Amino acid sequence: MAWTSKLALAAGLAFLPGSAWADAVNISYLTHWSPETVALLENAAKEYSKTHPDVTVTVRAVPFGDLLTTLRSQSGSDGATIGGIYDLWLPELARDKLVAPAPEAVAAEVKGAWPAGVVSAASVGGALYGIPNEIDVYALNYNKELFKQAGIDAAPKTWEEFRETAKKLTKKDAGQQGFGMINSWAAGVVHPFASLLVSNGGELVANGKPALDSKQAGETFEFYDGLIKDGSSDPSMATADANTTGPFLDNFVSGKTGMIIMANWWESALKTGMGDKFANIATAPIPVGPSGDKPHSISYSWMTVVNAKAGEAEQKAAWDFLAWLNGAKSGQNGASAMSDILMSMGILPSRSSDIEAHKEKLGTEFLAGYVSVLSDAKPFPVVPGGQEFSESLQQTLEALQYGQVSAKEAQAKAQADAISILERAAK
Amino acid sequence: MTNGYRASAGIMLAPAVTLIGVFILLPMLLTVWLSFNDWSTQTPFSEARFVGLANFQDIFGSTSVGRDFKGALVNTAIYTALSVAIILPLSVLFGLLVYQRDVGGGTLLRTVLFSTYMVPMIAVALVWSKLYSPSEGPFNQMLGLIGIDPQPWLSSPRSALISIVLLNVWQQVGYFTVLAIAGLTQIPGSLYEAATLDGANRTEQFRFITLPLLRRTLLFSAVIAIINAVQVFEPVALITQGGPVGSTNVLTYHIRRVGIERAQGGLGSAMAVMLMLSLVVVVCALFAFMSRKDDE
Repeated sequence: MAWTSKLALAAGLAFLPGSAWADAVNISYLTHWSPETVALLENAAKEYSKTHPDVTVTVRAVPFGDLLTTLRSQSGSDGATIGGIYDLWLPELARDKLVAPAPEAVAAEVKGAWPAGVVSAASVGGALYGIPNEIDVYALNYNKELFKQAGIDAAPKTWEEFRETAKKLTKKDAGQQGFGMINSWAAGVVHPFASLLVSNGGELVANGKPALDSKQAGETFEFYDGLIKDGSSDPSMATADANTTGPFLDNFVSGKTGMIIMANWWESALKTGMGDKFANIATAPIPVGPSGDKPHSISYSWMTVVNAKAGEAEQKAAWDFLAWLNGAKSGQNGASAMSDILMSMGILPSRSSDIEAHKEKLGTEFLAGYVSVLSDAKPFPVVPGGQEFSESLQQTLEALQYGQVSAKEAQAKAQADAISILERAAK
Repeated sequence: MTNGYRASAGIMLAPAVTLIGVFILLPMLLTVWLSFNDWSTQTPFSEARFVGLANFQDIFGSTSVGRDFKGALVNTAIYTALSVAIILPLSVLFGLLVYQRDVGGGTLLRTVLFSTYMVPMIAVALVWSKLYSPSEGPFNQMLGLIGIDPQPWLSSPRSALISIVLLNVWQQVGYFTVLAIAGLTQIPGSLYEAATLDGANRTEQFRFITLPLLRRTLLFSAVIAIINAVQVFEPVALITQGGPVGSTNVLTYHIRRVGIERAQGGLGSAMAVMLMLSLVVVVCALFAFMSRKDDE
């Protein structure tokens, strides 16, 4: 080969990777999932890259307690392109222009394929900002073995039965509590309280205004106070850490807590912690309060959003990847790849076709209890200042749990704080 | 000649002064300015709106903003006071033990003590959160062996902050012991020999020789211990998240929550300014106290 031909070949080879780099797009996905779940997401991303070789998706995980801070502090063009967020955070992230509205085609697909309530939680001012993925709902979890030992046949249906059951399950000498109230984690404290409140006919926020001064809310504060005064709930057994685990989880999995109000997503944590003993755990609707008509619960959703400060090519690739990940063709048997990942953790997917595709798994004893209460669940209020409102209510409820305030004081304080927080956030 | 000397001194100082100005003074001034503004950390500085002393009124007011800030300020003060009050005497005690030349294994003890300071806080937090576990934690199991009931440690608002203080003492005491040993080496041995000849016992030697001559070392240790304690963040973020009932919500953690998580930059800056002022007042008071003692 003549030296000129060799030179031309070398130049051509050198040029080829260069032209490939010019079109390559790197997008990153920020989540709070565990390493096992992150591995599933990475596999899905590799699958996507087979048909989109120019797009590389990297996944990064941080503890749940650091997720919002990471999203906010790394919100520039070099931050994560995609973020998995809790619906409560959306109004403020949208207000601060940190998340991009979904392109029309994506918005149209989401509006047609997801229930209206879930779409509304992913929207601000009528514009869709995220593709919803999981929906979480609260129910009563109880340990059947402890129920059997205490001679209790069935899960409580009313607050009166709940209180009696909790008393029977409490064995102080054995370090066993009837009902576990979580502390040191805002959602873990507020969501069970809110579930009992809606099951008593009340609401946290009505028409954008705090409604903690209602009769129903007063009864719910009194109910919490009663459980503490009975000695049926020991706050020192219920502390959570930054990863939403800790003593409250340890005590439930080791059979030292009889009942807890918790969401479906912790199925995987229970299975990991309990092994074969997971079969002892059953699910029941939230007991109905004196002012309630039937069991209700609260629900909240998660969604994936795209960084508004990412480059145009990155945003475009991110929406395309998310549409594929959440689409009906990326997973097994007509399910989305996202729903397959969620179901591995026991999390309910929110896309209508995903619920149909996972019908069999959703019929297992543990999850069926959650699916059955979903239709009567009320979405947790998504308002500006919602996170601060949750954290403030958390402090008040914890003060009640530890006997620092009475039920009446807690109710008055919670309402006054909520008014001031939501008013300031609305300015 | 004098002008030339001043010019050359100015030229030589300029790089350091510029760096300090840009990277230390400017951010401090910016924080002070932002504390008088309503500003979201997600927006440019140009969008900050002057609100005068409103942020300071809020953080000292009766709403949840004020209550949480005042709670965090008190928690930080308690944490700092307890940390310094435990670390300094312990560091002197360990320093005296390790400094005894006639005791074997001193170097090993010194290494062991200092090693806790080198362990990353993430590892310390991980291990200590399990040590403190109310049901299965080794601490409670050990207490059980000597007939003491299990303690709630991090799970009770009464003991959570003290538990974090103990963790801090464990990690920091080795560093301050090394400082104490450095101070002890500066005390001439002849003073002890003379005191022994005069009939002074060990306690009197400690009271009238060691302690007075360690004063400057202790002042330095106290200032560093205060600054370290005021900046506590990791154990709270990693283990307690400020709970239960806000009992471990210290200022740095609270400022991060307000300023970054809630993006309330103005309020966060006002809190940071108050933290800075408190620190300045405490350190100046400490220096003034020591200066008076020196004069006496």
